[in-house]
Amino acid sequence: MKKNILKSDGVQAVIASLICVVLGVFVGYVILLIINPDGAFEAIVAVLKNFMTYSRPDSQLRYFGNTLVKTIPLILCSLSILFAYKAGLFNIGAAGQYCVGICASLYAALAWGWSWLPCLLLAVIVGGIYGSLVGLLKAYFNVNEVISGIMLNWIGLYLTNMILSAVKEEASPYTINIRTANPDALIPSLGLEQLFNNNQYITIAIPLAIIIAFIVYIILDKTRMGYEIKATGFNKDAAKYAGMAEKKNIIMTLVIAGSLAGMGAAFLYLTGFEQYIVTSSQVPSMGFNGIAAAFLGGLNPIGAIFSSFFIQHISSGGAYVDKSIYASQISDLIAAVIIYLCGFVFFMKVVMNNMIAKREANKAKTGKEGGEN
Amino acid sequence: MEDAYAVEMLHITKKFPGIIANDDVTLRLKKGEIHALLGENGAGKSTLMSVLFGLYQPEEGIIKKDGVEVKIKDPNDANALGIGMVHQHFKLVECFSVLDNIILGAEPLKKGFLDKATAKDKILDLSKRYGLEVEPDAIVEDITVGMQQRAEILKMLYRDNEILIFDEPTAVLTPQEIKELMMIMRNLKAEGKSILFISHKLNEIMEVADRCTVLRRGKYVGTVETKDTSMEELSAMMVGRDVNFHVEKKPAHIGDAVLKVSNLTVASKRHKNDAVKNVSFEVHAGEIVCIAGIDGNGQSELVYGLTGLEPIKSGKIEFLNEDVTKRSIRHKTEKGMAHIPEDRHKYGLVLDYTLADNFILQTYYQNTYSTKFGGFMKRDAIIKNAEKIIEKYDVRSSQGPNTIVRSMSGGNQQKAIIGREIDREPELLIAVQPTRGLDIGAIEYIHSQLVKQRDEGKAVLLISLELEEVLDVSDRILVMYEGEIVGELDPHTVSEEELGLYMAGAKRNEVKA
Amino acid sequence: MSLLIQYTLIFASVLMLVALGGCFAEHSGVINLGLEGIMVIGALGGALVMRLFLDLSTPMMILGVVLGAVIFGLLYSALLGVACINFKADQTIVGTALNMLATAAATVFVKAMNASINPDDVSSTIQYVDQKKNFLLYFGDFEFNWFMLIAVIALIVAYVVLYKTRFGLRLMACGEHPSAADSVGINVIKMRWSGVLISGIYGGLGGICYILAGVSEWKFENGVAGFGFLALAVMIFGQWKPIKIALAALLFGFFRALSNVYFGFDFLVNLNIPGTVYNMLPYIISLLVLALTSRHSRAPKAEGIPYDKSKR
Repeated sequence: MKKNILKSDGVQAVIASLICVVLGVFVGYVILLIINPDGAFEAIVAVLKNFMTYSRPDSQLRYFGNTLVKTIPLILCSLSILFAYKAGLFNIGAAGQYCVGICASLYAALAWGWSWLPCLLLAVIVGGIYGSLVGLLKAYFNVNEVISGIMLNWIGLYLTNMILSAVKEEASPYTINIRTANPDALIPSLGLEQLFNNNQYITIAIPLAIIIAFIVYIILDKTRMGYEIKATGFNKDAAKYAGMAEKKNIIMTLVIAGSLAGMGAAFLYLTGFEQYIVTSSQVPSMGFNGIAAAFLGGLNPIGAIFSSFFIQHISSGGAYVDKSIYASQISDLIAAVIIYLCGFVFFMKVVMNNMIAKREANKAKTGKEGGEN
Repeated sequence: MEDAYAVEMLHITKKFPGIIANDDVTLRLKKGEIHALLGENGAGKSTLMSVLFGLYQPEEGIIKKDGVEVKIKDPNDANALGIGMVHQHFKLVECFSVLDNIILGAEPLKKGFLDKATAKDKILDLSKRYGLEVEPDAIVEDITVGMQQRAEILKMLYRDNEILIFDEPTAVLTPQEIKELMMIMRNLKAEGKSILFISHKLNEIMEVADRCTVLRRGKYVGTVETKDTSMEELSAMMVGRDVNFHVEKKPAHIGDAVLKVSNLTVASKRHKNDAVKNVSFEVHAGEIVCIAGIDGNGQSELVYGLTGLEPIKSGKIEFLNEDVTKRSIRHKTEKGMAHIPEDRHKYGLVLDYTLADNFILQTYYQNTYSTKFGGFMKRDAIIKNAEKIIEKYDVRSSQGPNTIVRSMSGGNQQKAIIGREIDREPELLIAVQPTRGLDIGAIEYIHSQLVKQRDEGKAVLLISLELEEVLDVSDRILVMYEGEIVGELDPHTVSEEELGLYMAGAKRNEVKA
Repeated sequence: MSLLIQYTLIFASVLMLVALGGCFAEHSGVINLGLEGIMVIGALGGALVMRLFLDLSTPMMILGVVLGAVIFGLLYSALLGVACINFKADQTIVGTALNMLATAAATVFVKAMNASINPDDVSSTIQYVDQKKNFLLYFGDFEFNWFMLIAVIALIVAYVVLYKTRFGLRLMACGEHPSAADSVGINVIKMRWSGVLISGIYGGLGGICYILAGVSEWKFENGVAGFGFLALAVMIFGQWKPIKIALAALLFGFFRALSNVYFGFDFLVNLNIPGTVYNMLPYIISLLVLALTSRHSRAPKAEGIPYDKSKR
């Protein structure tokens, strides 16, 4: 008997994600139409085209590279969120963990003159420690991880502003450019930049991030640790009954999640692509966009690679809308609508299963070959 | 009009995916009678009552009230028709007062605000008239189960309901409270109320009911006058064959003490008193020791304390001559303690895992199932283990080892847990209400497994609320009452009545530790 | 000193309004993590009234701004209601999405509005220097804001509604034991909707109150700096009870006020603590308070669990 591929959970997840994307973009388009119907279509096309707005292939390649550079931290943030989510924890604190990752990597690079690898490791460790705070509060004091995560995001932001003020340019709120101050701290490219028309921000961070996504996938799906984490996430009472150390698992999960977010920060800031603004009044949005990417990717590490690219693609695309009419935040809006719609994924799967069941029942009525359960 | 019917449910059929819960069932309740509805677990009693109460809509059949056909679409309709129900699991808001719970949904108002004074007068009035003693201002979570039930009954009376449904009302009561309830039911009948009494306890039905309707596997078996029938006849109607509750077993060969508990005290999560107070006992190899008692007398907490699911306050637990008081759950599991938990969905299973993954819940980290280096899971070994347990313990599911446990029936889920726990060849098996909610076939199977363990020289600690199970399966009975062990009894010599007295706290003897 | 009291009171008003909103939603059984977003949208509603109706009389201005904030908050909370009550969506995801959506949508909207009037103005800022004066009264040094009174009234209303009315009793039953409520004929879905919509009203009010607290213009890109979550901490610290929430709000309001006025106190300035530390203070305090109170806190039992009739 032929198996209906629509029944597979993975296929359903992909379909649900595509529905979220299409609806999200559609809502964005409707809002553009409301603001000003004249340029709405061009604007939504600009958002979706992003680097393809450029006509020359070498420019396209270059700006494609830029989008990739910013996709990398997003992949790591979404891995951080989905890893914790598998253990039943909503790591909204990824934004703060990312923020202290920026702080650690830039301070080590600029104040201490470390080279890239130790800077990266420090960001990973500091992110992990920061994540552990959420874990400790959850495990030992029963503090809801969403609320403590948000509080730590703000604390992390102010801490970062305070510490990085020591390494800022004199006349501006920007941190000193690594490329001029300490080129050793830049992640090496090993020639990869040649693939992107010599885009100087292309580094081995890109392949490393993809490798890490695969490692996270293997940990979750094939190992003892993944078994334990998922059991805790599905049913923490049963995990306790089975002798798993609940508190240890919560803390360890958040340490790993925090490390991933911290690594993401180093992967971006150690390319010199951006300089941190020490008067920031907003927690970096990378951590929040990571939520969108994690859910849009169906909470699958491999899916996260693609969804992160898509989210970053439209975020970067926001820069190409006509700013005298529309705001570039239209892409944030689309991303937020997509997360909102991801809340309906479970419902979409129920509808799909009902449709399949109905069709099979009909088949069973007409012919005799269908209708097995 | 002596024989007028208050409610008639005619030819009711209610289907759920895969099963027919009620198949052409007819039930007629006369005005002013106590009518019992008898059947085993899963016979369709609750479904039928849910139909009457408007919680489910039947596919076929009609309901008549006072001879007129009515449609009951939700509990509001039932209420408007004067039908009230005391649910098996009380529908009380625990942090509300008794009064708030009684008036909820039918609140009296004065100038738009709640008028609790008037409500209180009415409640005290009703409580005096029907002999239902309650404290209106007490918070529900602080009062006894008996008083909670009286609050539920007052909820119906407060709404002037004429037809009262009692769904398994005695399951949570002490024998004394059961006596009181019977009295209350007779009072209610004397005041002209019509009562539907759902039960599977024959003696209670014989004592209080006028007539009895019997269901078996969703089908209507018959309706009899209790004065014209006997317990044996009812029992045969209920099961469809002569019942042999007695479990065949050889004499016990008692060995060394496997579990020694001394002065164990466990705090309660629900109230300020300790749930388990200074309890000491032993369980030996080759015997089944049963902790008997009414639900809520500290049995659950005792098990949580023993296994380590909840911290204990004081006392000592020795297992196979080692002090394990402060040792982890995993240590005790590795040493040979197995636990069939009371709540299989909360503790026993990860419902979203496959059957195969659930079978390795306590052993996944061992070298059999995951590699020493890197901790990679050994899929082949995991599947092989699953196939073995499925075969050996007859666990039925649609896709074998790869079945998601959530999709399995309750009986097979329980078999899966039992298979997993016994297959580890434990030295001590703690089984908490292992047969709850299962049909007769499954119950017999589980009992035979417990006896087999004991015959193989293992220790079994059984916690049960069912008198028959206690008397049939165990080699020794310890009775728990209000957190204490109040008696040690021999199942071969003690009578059901005597056991009942111990469980009600009316009698106690000194326990040799 | 009067400056400290003034700021403490106005920030306490914000926190109390929003925390009471959270309290209504949670008592009905829905966790509203989208309060932060509701505040932003409520603030937008109020700010638009100020921006579009410049010359209203004081009472009309107050009424108009309150209505604007309430209506916007109410409508926005409906997005939470649809997803979490009718479609049983994950309340954490939806709440988070609403927070992100609010800032993005408000920014896009205000920028479009500003740009349509003056093509060179691509900011997301709304100014209300003159309009704000309608909300203020001076008693010597002390600047009284009508929202302080509105907050007190809102507190009294919340207390009476929850504990003295039929609606309150039913609402709380739905958050504690929905199937018990259902069994006595209470429509759980309806009650939960009411709880969510009321939280929208309170959250919207809190939002407009927040942007009227210290400043005379608001840049909508900035959101509300985690105030919605601070309010949730206030609610937990206040054990879901209105009077305790009010007291908790005063405490948190005090620490928030310190960052605005610490330079007015010689002994605080002499301590030589960087200003950033005062900015962090409310968040640090709330972490500490949560750590101390969460272990024994008693949230409504059924909160966060979608009500499913078939699983009674």
